[in-house]
Amino acid sequence: MPEGIFCNKTPINTEEQLKATLGDKGGKQYYEEMNHLDVDTDKLWSTIQKTMKSRTKTWLDICAHCGLCAESCFLYQVNGRVPEQVPSYKIQSTLGVMVKKKGKVDNAFMQMCMETAWSKCTCCNRCGMYCPHGIDVGVMFSYLRGLLYSQGFVPWELKIGSGMHRVYRAQMDVTTEDWVETCEWMAEENEEDWPGLEIPVDKVGADIMYTCNAREPKHYPEDIAEAAILFHVAGENWTVPSEGWEQTSLSMFAGDWECCKDNVLNVYSALERLKPKRAIGTECGHAHRATVIEGPYWAGRPDGQPPVPYIHYVEWLAEALRSGKLKIDPSKRIKELVTLQDSCNYVRNQGLKDVTREILSYIVEPGYFVEMSPNKEHNYCCGGGGGFNGIGLYRAQRNVALRKKMEQILDTGAKLVIAPCHNCWDAIRDLEEEYKIGIRWSFLKPLIIKMLDVPEHLRPTEE
Amino acid sequence: MFKKILLATSGAPSTFGAARVAFDMAKRYGAEVVVFHVMGVPTKAYSQVVNDVRTGEEIEVDDEYRAWVEEELKSTFEKQIESVQYAKIVTTTGVPSREILRAARSEDADLIVMGASSGDSSAYRKGYPGSTLQRVAKAARCPVMTVHRETASYWGGFGNIVFATDFSKQADSAFRFALNSARELDCDLTLFHALDISGKVLDQNAIEDRLIAARARIRAAYVPLMGDFKNFDIEVWEGVPYVEIVKIARERSADLIVLAHHSLELDPEKARIGSTMEQVILRAGCPVVSVSKPDKV
Repeated sequence: MPEGIFCNKTPINTEEQLKATLGDKGGKQYYEEMNHLDVDTDKLWSTIQKTMKSRTKTWLDICAHCGLCAESCFLYQVNGRVPEQVPSYKIQSTLGVMVKKKGKVDNAFMQMCMETAWSKCTCCNRCGMYCPHGIDVGVMFSYLRGLLYSQGFVPWELKIGSGMHRVYRAQMDVTTEDWVETCEWMAEENEEDWPGLEIPVDKVGADIMYTCNAREPKHYPEDIAEAAILFHVAGENWTVPSEGWEQTSLSMFAGDWECCKDNVLNVYSALERLKPKRAIGTECGHAHRATVIEGPYWAGRPDGQPPVPYIHYVEWLAEALRSGKLKIDPSKRIKELVTLQDSCNYVRNQGLKDVTREILSYIVEPGYFVEMSPNKEHNYCCGGGGGFNGIGLYRAQRNVALRKKMEQILDTGAKLVIAPCHNCWDAIRDLEEEYKIGIRWSFLKPLIIKMLDVPEHLRPTEE
Repeated sequence: MFKKILLATSGAPSTFGAARVAFDMAKRYGAEVVVFHVMGVPTKAYSQVVNDVRTGEEIEVDDEYRAWVEEELKSTFEKQIESVQYAKIVTTTGVPSREILRAARSEDADLIVMGASSGDSSAYRKGYPGSTLQRVAKAARCPVMTVHRETASYWGGFGNIVFATDFSKQADSAFRFALNSARELDCDLTLFHALDISGKVLDQNAIEDRLIAARARIRAAYVPLMGDFKNFDIEVWEGVPYVEIVKIARERSADLIVLAHHSLELDPEKARIGSTMEQVILRAGCPVVSVSKPDKV
């Protein structure tokens, strides 16, 4: 069959298409249509020829199938160590075969690839650290996802997610009006407790432009308020853009390369319009990866950098605590065992392992911080990365994937897990729901606010 | 005085008392009722799966489910909806407290009416009975009326209002609301302060001195603001504040208790111990209005 109504090779570009696809309960019709979707083998092969760079070719060629990557993969570990979960096998049996066959593959093969790409790899890039040749299967799976997306073989939620970015330029249906309104609302809701609190929109030439994750205005606007409170107490000159505020990229998870570029250019154009000295993103891993690590390349920036220095929230927070812009009341420090989730996307992918620990040194009473094992760049994915968290079709596999993180957390003995990443936060919450191990989880912002030593002049006047 | 009442309901029997009061008030005062329901808490990242607020089950929110929920609400409150001139049903997904606040703001509601607790069925894991109420009462710009016990749900119009003050800034807003209500609805108003002596052993003369001081403080703070309104009296009792507030409401056969909410503590674990407001709501035999902001009074 040519293309289906919902499952096809065309991205979602209109609100109408988006709502119609959303209306397909659980993607039932979508996946049924996928069973009949033709593979455009000529286009697939020509895309591979045009886009597959020498690095990927070399990686596929030099992989010795030695299997040394096996143990590095948490999905291999939690799935009974079956050969089908060895990273090298996963990529050779999908992308490797696709290339060998010069794109002459069928529907069943593409569906197998889809299942492998989205339920057997979270693109956490851990295997790349353990391969004797430095082959990063996560990077190759991101590439494979792009090929699958272009042929219409992508999980329903991610087709929608990418469509959301195309239609609303946000991963959820948050419009510019909704966003600006939310900023006003949050300033208003908190101005009594924090006199003088503002969330300035579109201020030109501020020191900081702040960007966030659309889940915040949509469901958790207090996160925006908390960022505002901390900037306020730190005395920062900051702003948020009315357009280009959404830093995440579900299109990156979906493999919608065109949309990835559009998203990041939208954020960069806000930087060019508002000319801040630097930009700071919220506590989110993939948003950082999309805007700061990979984004410059999607946008074709010759220096591989965003238009202004762009840092992750933990970097700003560490700086503010270090420089004394934010002061912690020592009596309010955490005095219970607490552990830290290292987000793959800004720890393994950008090396921000020490700043988070520096933050903990200010907010946790000595002796109460307990590391997960392994940790830092060796840490495992939360279990729900790369889009895994959101895909209904692979819920059961995702729940199995959470077990590694569960074991790691249980081994620490901590009941409080700090997770400065939206996706990790979600996965750990889901993990508690699924396995009920009695833990709590938190972003850094609310914890810090509770511990702040607020200067007298910033406190509300009590009567 | 109330043009638009937002009835925040899970549709469960624990909210029927609140619904009775909301609809009865709307009927008496010609107000519009917005029956507001949060279907589920989004737990699954950005997928369409949410946890149903009442059952905790995973559901996929689509048009069909939405229509079914609306139908359920419509039949649950069928007679009451028919009894008022304006009513509509609004459903959404999200964290209940946040969505109630969002709806109150976008609907420009004059009053939020809700039950105090979803009991054990609360699906939001970080929650606890009363957490939604705590968060709403803290941040709402309009007064928040809660009806917790079935006995509190009787609504025969206002006759007696007890205003309990702790002399905070927020209590000023609560006072204005109580006074305006008493004036407009022509009922008696008791200005009350409970002197907190819980856990202390105090000399009786010291207690009596403080009672006198508190009485004087009420007189100085509120009486000058009452103009020609004369149906009031002043009471100051000592004890555990929430107990004394509930007791005086019982003694006066109050139809309404008005007090301010201004706890800064929103940490579920700490707030669980219970503020005076929460305890009064859980125990009172009449609706309780919590006011923390001056906007809608």
